[in-house]
Amino acid sequence: MTKKKSIITDQRFIVLLVIIALVVIYMIFSPEFRQYSSILSMLDFSYYDILMAIGVTFPLITAGVDLSIGTGMVCYALVAGRLVRDYNCPVLVAMLICVLFGAIVGLANGTLIGVMGLPPFLATLCTCMITRGISSMVMATPWPTNKQPGGWFHSIFKLTFGTGRNALKLPVGFLVCVALVLLMEFVLNHTKFGRYTIAIGSNKEALMLSGVNVKIYHVMAYVVCGIFAGLAAIAYAAVVPTVQPGTGAGLELDAIGGVFVGGVSATGGYGSVIGTLVGVFVIVLLKTGLPYVGLQANWQQIITGIVLIGAVMIDVAKRRRMAKEQ
Amino acid sequence: MADAILTMEEIEKSFPGVHALDHVHFDVRRGEVHALMGENGAGKSTLMKVLTGIYTKDYGTITYEGKEVSFNNTREAQDAGIVIVHQELNMIGDLTVAQNIFIGREFMKGFKIDDKKMIEESKKLFDELKIDINPRDKMSDLTVGKQQMCEIAKAISHQAKVIIFDEPSAALTEKEIEDLFTIIRDLREKGMAIVYISHRMDEIKVITDRVTVMRDGGYVGTLITKDCTKEDIINMMVGRVIYEDPKTESKVPKDAPVVLKVEHLNAGRMVQDVSFELRKGEILGFSGLMGAGRTETARALFGADPKTSGDIYINGEKVTINSPQDAVKHGIGYLSEDRKRYGIVVQKTITENSTMATLEKYMSGIFINKSEEKKITEHYIEELATKTPSADQLVVNLSGGNQQKVVIAKWLVRDCDILIFDEPTRGIDVGAKNEIYKLMNRLASEGKSIIMISSEMTEILRMSDRIVVMCEGKKTGELDISEATQEKIMNKATRDIA
Amino acid sequence: MEKIKQNPFVRKVGFNRVILFCVLILMYAAFSLLVPGFFGKARIMSVMNYVYFLGFLSLGVTFVIATGGIDFSIGPVMFCCGLISGYTMMNKGAPVGVVLILSILIGFLFGVFNGYLVSYWTIPPFIVSMASMNIAKGIAAVYTKTQSVSWPLSTDPANGWFRNLVSFNGFPVGLVIFLLAAFICMVVLNNTRPGRYILCLGSNREAVRLSGVDTKKWEMLAYVICGTLVGIAAIFFVGAYTTVQPGYGDQYNNEAIAGCVMGGTSMAGGLASIGGTVIGVLIISLLQEGILALGFAKDIQLIVTGIIVIVVVYADVMARRRKN
Repeated sequence: MTKKKSIITDQRFIVLLVIIALVVIYMIFSPEFRQYSSILSMLDFSYYDILMAIGVTFPLITAGVDLSIGTGMVCYALVAGRLVRDYNCPVLVAMLICVLFGAIVGLANGTLIGVMGLPPFLATLCTCMITRGISSMVMATPWPTNKQPGGWFHSIFKLTFGTGRNALKLPVGFLVCVALVLLMEFVLNHTKFGRYTIAIGSNKEALMLSGVNVKIYHVMAYVVCGIFAGLAAIAYAAVVPTVQPGTGAGLELDAIGGVFVGGVSATGGYGSVIGTLVGVFVIVLLKTGLPYVGLQANWQQIITGIVLIGAVMIDVAKRRRMAKEQ
Repeated sequence: MADAILTMEEIEKSFPGVHALDHVHFDVRRGEVHALMGENGAGKSTLMKVLTGIYTKDYGTITYEGKEVSFNNTREAQDAGIVIVHQELNMIGDLTVAQNIFIGREFMKGFKIDDKKMIEESKKLFDELKIDINPRDKMSDLTVGKQQMCEIAKAISHQAKVIIFDEPSAALTEKEIEDLFTIIRDLREKGMAIVYISHRMDEIKVITDRVTVMRDGGYVGTLITKDCTKEDIINMMVGRVIYEDPKTESKVPKDAPVVLKVEHLNAGRMVQDVSFELRKGEILGFSGLMGAGRTETARALFGADPKTSGDIYINGEKVTINSPQDAVKHGIGYLSEDRKRYGIVVQKTITENSTMATLEKYMSGIFINKSEEKKITEHYIEELATKTPSADQLVVNLSGGNQQKVVIAKWLVRDCDILIFDEPTRGIDVGAKNEIYKLMNRLASEGKSIIMISSEMTEILRMSDRIVVMCEGKKTGELDISEATQEKIMNKATRDIA
Repeated sequence: MEKIKQNPFVRKVGFNRVILFCVLILMYAAFSLLVPGFFGKARIMSVMNYVYFLGFLSLGVTFVIATGGIDFSIGPVMFCCGLISGYTMMNKGAPVGVVLILSILIGFLFGVFNGYLVSYWTIPPFIVSMASMNIAKGIAAVYTKTQSVSWPLSTDPANGWFRNLVSFNGFPVGLVIFLLAAFICMVVLNNTRPGRYILCLGSNREAVRLSGVDTKKWEMLAYVICGTLVGIAAIFFVGAYTTVQPGYGDQYNNEAIAGCVMGGTSMAGGLASIGGTVIGVLIISLLQEGILALGFAKDIQLIVTGIIVIVVVYADVMARRRKN
């Protein structure tokens, strides 16, 4: 019946147009925004959002959610940062610890949801609070700066050639994120894990009847999400001068909002990681761009909330229309 | 039988209170299409569930390829080569056709799923079956008919030797049925054994080689299809019936006013241009086989599901019914076939359920007048002889028959004049059944008008003043009780496709 | 054991509630033994300050959970109410009487927003909660220009009187108001149409709809009641703690939900107990106070509450599984 979907009706394409429109508007209204350094700083602050969003795409496709990614990310960055500063832990090990910590929290979430049957929002709301509690107990921690020993990890996200004002800075982090997006898009579409993630969101019963061990894959979706929250922690530490304890609440909304804008269905079963990348950029543009057009940064929270509701409303309306047609 | 690939002998199965299968015999040979027929509840599905390991048999033997077997679950049966194509489809709508066919046993290339090979294999399957489906299409984009074809393809890809079709044609268009038959003939030629469960008499004649008929959980007989007539099969299906006070003529006066008139009701595929009238004090039976569209008609009339068109008149006046609220306002009450899901709130008390539709009448100011509420509930507990220690009992603790009485009470408290009973005695034991019947008769004699949907022929013949027969979403006949016989009803319910 | 269960009083109150009450007493005794000086009026007053605002939050969310939904925007919405109304009073000169009503009105409007989206748009409640949580934080921050707001002290001649709502000359007025509110909620839930329909639709929405009841309307009402109570909670929060900071409030979501589910309200909907919620709130409040008194940091509260919610909800899940 449906052969090739036209690119025009693809939500990802429409969102891309929205991004272009936003950029054009900012550029018209703000001369500052036209500078390379503004773009660079906007990208700097997008990486952790993108990484969180890649991860949370998987629970959302299973019709679940992970609310612990924001506070989790801050918690991992703090704990690992402490180890670097006070216990001479090599930065590479600290980075691995971030990822491992994320994976453990993801495993906990997955077990609570996939095995014990707790509602996803509630289980992850609790781990959100628990990670925030843990992070509150760690002192504020700056990771090594660019010039300090161990500062090499900044180069993952931003390569700097030369010094001073003439230094050439390249946003390689964007390439890293794109590479990860492509990798996870591949995982979603071409591995058993990805396929079963979609199937869990679409029709869990049917998947179970096909003899698949659903629990393992359900848990894995949250573990993957946790791992990406761990990666996001590294990106977060790279851009935030000092990671503050007890923060991070609300950051998950940027990521989750981005995923919904990118076209993941609120009832699960459908989604794409490339869509997530595009969707997150809308949120990032709103977040970092609003001050350029003279709006307080706090407007961003309100607008993100409204964008989230709007994206889900479109999804609901779409499904209602489809139900009517049948 | 030497050439039978599968033989089931002396199969017995009981559920609490029901003797579901009683010494049933069934066999199927390689290269044969064997029809399994019987009224609703005759035990066809139970038999197939015993075969594929969903139920365990109490007694009897199953011989498959010369060995006695006993499967513990559908997967074991599947691995052995016995697969069911279900009426309800088990599809993952967001995945493609090929992904669905091979779900749980994907071809791998290292970490990567070899989608290319899966698509090729699916194509091969479809070519073999001569079906035109693109394996890359998303499952939810296909028509129900095509989804069914995919299920068949999936079944065959399991190296099936025995394929059971459980009412495969119920959801198909005529063109799709023709395609299905081509496939079945093909499979037969290849030496597969096929069990075909269906209600459609003409299909049976066209596609099957033998027919086995079941009735009330028992085995009636097996015929060679080409040597028998439709009437032969119907006679075997209905058999003899024990009547308990059968109704011989309508008790409704000829000049009783029409309270409800439905004209050209349409709602999707299952309700097509249905018109009928209901008189004061009448019990109007709705007969038909599973999937005839009776429940759908009732739900559309009641506003529970959206309807596409149709006019409804109550006491001669045209009314708009778009939601259950509207229906209740106009004095219609609906007693669903699925009480636990649609009829009662099981975790609440009898009182709370009884006044559910009428709560605004039992208020003093903003508060619920609990003593009045209890009084009316107790009144109906007595009136309907509901067996319960008190009105505060949770409904979950009541038996099926008493739960049904609570639902009836709900609509009587509301003082509804038109009651729709959808399978009023399903899941209710014999004693309670009689009580419900008496109650319905009394309500009718008190001037209530009743629409009774029932799949039990005895119930229809015993209770109705007039009978509407439906088949595949259309009204196929209307009979006065004085002229109605089982054979006539069954004939209309299994009407040939025009 | 069986004998206790059959006792008419225990049966009326509910066995679980009796157990819960015993837990409360034991906890109080334990803290009194472990922490010198815990026993006494000062501590009780301090616990009570917590009980008042958390109690209103918990009562509110009980209605929502009874429908089978969830609202975890309540904490930030409470802060939003406290911030906007407080800022209006301190910086725009509105009298306290007006801003108290304003606070309730803001809570009410959030309830309308949440309820409309959940019931008429069928958007999953957790998504609505997530959005309105951030909208509440955002609005509060924008309006107050990210400044914290301190409400007037009781010595303030014009506006200080509102603190009498919390305590008057040492008499716990707040407790009276809270218990009164709990009683009203109990009556609403058990003796009025909205309550009856909310509980029934939480248990079996389709059956209620097919009885000709407008389920969408009543479902939305549960969120509106919740929002309104959150607006009241804000008054007690500022009455006890004076200062509200923008960007916070999330931790109270968990505490309110914990109190509610602990008291016997099922996450699956249809089953709610206001009495249970009250005891649950007392336990949570006592626990928060106790954790601090034992010398732990505030952060431990977050962790402990998180674990409690997991345990309590898992118990609820298991109880339901056993039933089926």
